[in-house]
Amino acid sequence: MRFDSISLPAETEPLREEVRSFLRDNAEHLQARNSDFTTGHDPEFSAKLGEQGWIGMTWPTAYGGGERSFFERYVVTEELLAAGAPVSAHWIADRQSGPLLLRFGTEAQRQSHLPAITRGESYFSIGMSEPNSGSDLASVRTTARREGDGWVVNGTKLWSTDAHRNHFMVTLVRTEAPSENRHAGLSQLLIDLKNDGVKIRPIRNMAGGEDFNEVVFEDVLVPADRVVGEPGNGWAQVTSELAYERSGPERFLSAFRVLVEFARAAGAEPTTQQATFIGRAASHLLALRRMSISVAGMLEAGKSPEVEAALVKALGNDFEKLLPELARLAAPDAGAPEAGAPETGEANGAWRSFRETFADTLLLSPSFTIRGGTREVLRGVIARGLGLR
Amino acid sequence: MSTRDLIVETADRIFADHCDKALLDAAERGEFPEALFELLKENGLHELALADSGLTLADAFAVFKVAGRHALPLPLPELVLGNRWLDGDAGFVSIGPAAGAAEGARDVPWGRRADRVLAVDAAGVRLLTDQECEAQSNLAGEARDRVSGAAGEVLPDSEDALLLLTLARTLQMAGGLEKVLDLSLTYAGEREQFGRPIAKFQAVQHNLAVMAAETAAAIRAADAAAEALDGDPARLRLEVAAAKSRVGEAVGVVAELAHQVHGAMGYTHEHQLHHFTRRLWAWRDEYGSDGYWQAVLGRELAARGADELWGFIASRA
Repeated sequence: MRFDSISLPAETEPLREEVRSFLRDNAEHLQARNSDFTTGHDPEFSAKLGEQGWIGMTWPTAYGGGERSFFERYVVTEELLAAGAPVSAHWIADRQSGPLLLRFGTEAQRQSHLPAITRGESYFSIGMSEPNSGSDLASVRTTARREGDGWVVNGTKLWSTDAHRNHFMVTLVRTEAPSENRHAGLSQLLIDLKNDGVKIRPIRNMAGGEDFNEVVFEDVLVPADRVVGEPGNGWAQVTSELAYERSGPERFLSAFRVLVEFARAAGAEPTTQQATFIGRAASHLLALRRMSISVAGMLEAGKSPEVEAALVKALGNDFEKLLPELARLAAPDAGAPEAGAPETGEANGAWRSFRETFADTLLLSPSFTIRGGTREVLRGVIARGLGLR
Repeated sequence: MSTRDLIVETADRIFADHCDKALLDAAERGEFPEALFELLKENGLHELALADSGLTLADAFAVFKVAGRHALPLPLPELVLGNRWLDGDAGFVSIGPAAGAAEGARDVPWGRRADRVLAVDAAGVRLLTDQECEAQSNLAGEARDRVSGAAGEVLPDSEDALLLLTLARTLQMAGGLEKVLDLSLTYAGEREQFGRPIAKFQAVQHNLAVMAAETAAAIRAADAAAEALDGDPARLRLEVAAAKSRVGEAVGVVAELAHQVHGAMGYTHEHQLHHFTRRLWAWRDEYGSDGYWQAVLGRELAARGADELWGFIASRA
């Protein structure tokens, strides 16, 4: 597994400054409570990003894209994530739904959807997991049967982020009965979430958010021209999305704000324990980011770095969970018997912001090593890459 | 093929041909590898960092990872860098951290055999005279001698010596991690239990996956620091701190899992694994542990302020 030493091209530096300047001008949109990419749904902000040309950056200009490099996209996305910018609304569409249509979609589908995505106006959810199909995606039971000029879809999708407020879902469905080849007979349908027969129920998560959903399809009629790619080719198509889905900086920056708020509270002269934590976290971030940029380089070269993306995500997610745990032990102990009154103690004032960000992130953290490919699945992908399976 | 690739290939070939278990066992018994030392000199490996070598420091440093991969029982970084600071023709030169004012140096690799010994501290390196040597060894059975003697003036152009030696040790560790991962993959593929190679068991696959991920991160970190060698010295210090830290942390995970994969066989002295894992554990604590360098990096970042943290991470090396 090679992670070539790739530096971001010098030409990306002015772009980085542009993004920072944009964020300063739009500071009222920054949540800064945590840097998790799923917790900031802000259509107004997404539209502003669209105006800047920062959604669909690598896509052909014929579809509203910027024909810019994967490195330029990397710079924009990492600046937005590090600042805690609200990118959830357009994130999935930009990261994988658009590229899927570019690779497998019809010209009509590209014309219909890509320009609106690049404007930050059209949002997509992922329709893969089901109540009985998570890591074992090939076992999905949502069906689509041919009827007249279209498909009739029945089944339930689960964990679909923002389905309650997004426009479309690329849905993995079974179009042929299961056979010995369990990956055969799957297809992807581009379904309008406002369709009659689509029942969406937000699911409250343990962090108090309601961004993922159960989506029930009851005899939903989908026109024939909504098949993405070839019927029966769903598995290969879904797999091709994975390198995009798993490879970005959102896979190691989810806990970044915890580090920033810790450093702010610790101040310019931290204790040795505090300095050690900051340095350890920084050493991980430097290595992870460099490996992630290598993966962006592989995407830029037209490769499909599934194993490398899985490796960076596995390392990154474990780090996202480790960071708050280490921070906690290096911060003043608000629960200690000597801690005194909460409103006057050391944990107030300078450390309050840290405690809020820490609490937010800790409650989000179980999802880090589950979403987008569990730790166990990713280790299996790495093992296959090592030739062990 | 670039000059650097050529140097690396030459070194790899020599080390592969000579660094077998017999040589490593002999070194552990206190036998200095004279023939190998002569061969290194014949191939000019001791002159890679001389001012007139025509090579960058990054070129010269490329061999240290190779040395680590083969557990070369000779202090190649000390030889290469010592010759640089002594301006060549230094014979077998070794280096160790200064033991305190006028007290010589400690942990000097093969101090007992060295023609010249340098003591290094934050100011640079100084040549010792009237040396007396007490033979000692580290956790890996490598010669790490106590050399007392009078220290001369700081040699010219050696103010970054501590940093360069730390980086060299980091690269040796990165090479050692590669080797330990390779040994583990091979062993798991060959060792059969319950009618199949143990590499077929998910628990073992996951351990190997974790090892591969940590090793990849360590190599990228070490290489990134080496790339900073010929650039801004202030940036180099922080890159070396980050690299020694990240690689040291990887050693803890990888060495432990490697022994787990190798089972009882890997626990024997007869098996070669310990020659690599003991070196990783020893090198992890030389020239400052991961904890030491984490504090260095953390203090620097704290002084710059929380709002500059992202800027530092995102800045190009």
